[in-house]
Amino acid sequence: MNWLNGIYNFRIVSDYFETFLNGIFNTVWITLVCLGLSVFFGIFLALMRMSSISVMWRTAAAYIQFVRATPLLIQIYLVYYGLPGLIGNFFDETQTGIIALTLHTTPYMAEIIRAGIISVPKTQTEGAQAVGMSSAQAMYHIILPQAIAKLISPLLGQAVVLLKDTSLLSIIAVFELMGAGLIMFSETVSATESYVTTAICYLLIYLMMLVASGFIQRKLGGTATYAT
Amino acid sequence: MEWFAQKWQVVESLAPFLLHGLWMTFQVSMIAIILGSLLGAILGVMKTLDSRALRLCIDAYMHFFRGTPYLVQLYLIYFVLPSLGIAWLQFDSYTAAIVSLTLYTASYVTAIVASAIDAVPRGQEEAARACGMTKAQRLYHIIVPQALRLTVPPMASVYVIVIKSTAVLSVIGLSELTRQGETSILRMPQDTMFIYALIAGLYFLYCYPVLRFARWAERRVGSSAAAQENA
Repeated sequence: MNWLNGIYNFRIVSDYFETFLNGIFNTVWITLVCLGLSVFFGIFLALMRMSSISVMWRTAAAYIQFVRATPLLIQIYLVYYGLPGLIGNFFDETQTGIIALTLHTTPYMAEIIRAGIISVPKTQTEGAQAVGMSSAQAMYHIILPQAIAKLISPLLGQAVVLLKDTSLLSIIAVFELMGAGLIMFSETVSATESYVTTAICYLLIYLMMLVASGFIQRKLGGTATYAT
Repeated sequence: MEWFAQKWQVVESLAPFLLHGLWMTFQVSMIAIILGSLLGAILGVMKTLDSRALRLCIDAYMHFFRGTPYLVQLYLIYFVLPSLGIAWLQFDSYTAAIVSLTLYTASYVTAIVASAIDAVPRGQEEAARACGMTKAQRLYHIIVPQALRLTVPPMASVYVIVIKSTAVLSVIGLSELTRQGETSILRMPQDTMFIYALIAGLYFLYCYPVLRFARWAERRVGSSAAAQENA
């Protein structure tokens, strides 16, 4: 094992076991919170984007295009330096980070949801109207359930992107997995141990998400495959 | 009016600085896109060959680069490789940027090329074989020309991702657009928000045409290729 110690000293890493565990925990919960929020707001943004009122869809489209054409890092900086100016020092770094990531991910979710809604055949809407549903009812009871079943796989793909994006929050001093690696590097100055460990942790989360997404697709995707 | 005059002064004094950053961003992203596309195309074709070992290796590479954040990859290449003590792996920030971004681009391009080749109907390959073409001839004359069309829309979206990823290079001190902005902010801290908005605008100018092209190409080729990419 001595040759391994020369390249990757796991004794140092074991000292930081708890730091990395906390980092993983923070990364996971930040990802989950942002995922929930961005899907929730994404539904509204998608509906806004598909609205027939010009002001509504133009605002939504402008927001979506802006977010898609600028780097996340710049968006994080804009929120991090801009938010205190707007509402005062109300949020801490983690909350600011969650806001920035949610603002970033919502348009991607909205585009995915919009594609899903469009893919539901028009006859479904007409059928709902024929039985006397309002357009809101048709959306809630008929369109969205079918759209969501079709969305699962692109949504999970976006969730993986979100997981990776949380690493950029380390730049505004949020403590998560990348932050754990940076702390270890600044204390031990051993790049290999710090960053290889970080990469391994991300890969583990990623592989777990791959397994989980396969499971979810088999569980939830069933009805959607019958419908088409 | 006074506000405009003051902001205009900021723009005027920062313009050469930020434009140099934009040029650097353009340069690095273009080199990475070209090298990454070449490497990705080769790996993508190799992935569809009938070699299990080869496919496993390429899959491992793809999962590694798609499963870890680009920031981590950059740190690995900039900080970890030099500590191995091999002379030619002692990258400066410019080389590290290009190497990491190329490998990152290639991991996406590989997936696109491989799935485009899979999307070409099997009958094409069988017909070419019936005509007595070798594997290389089939790929070169029949499969790749048809697959190429399908790769255009998802490829353009990946290029936008790559261009946006160059902002991360500011953490290793490469003087690209984001880094130039941060340096300017040290000079004019009262205009932090304005300078970041300016940088966002410059990125937008660079990325938006590519995004529009992606959408145009998608409409021309049909959305099937893009839909596959999301899976």
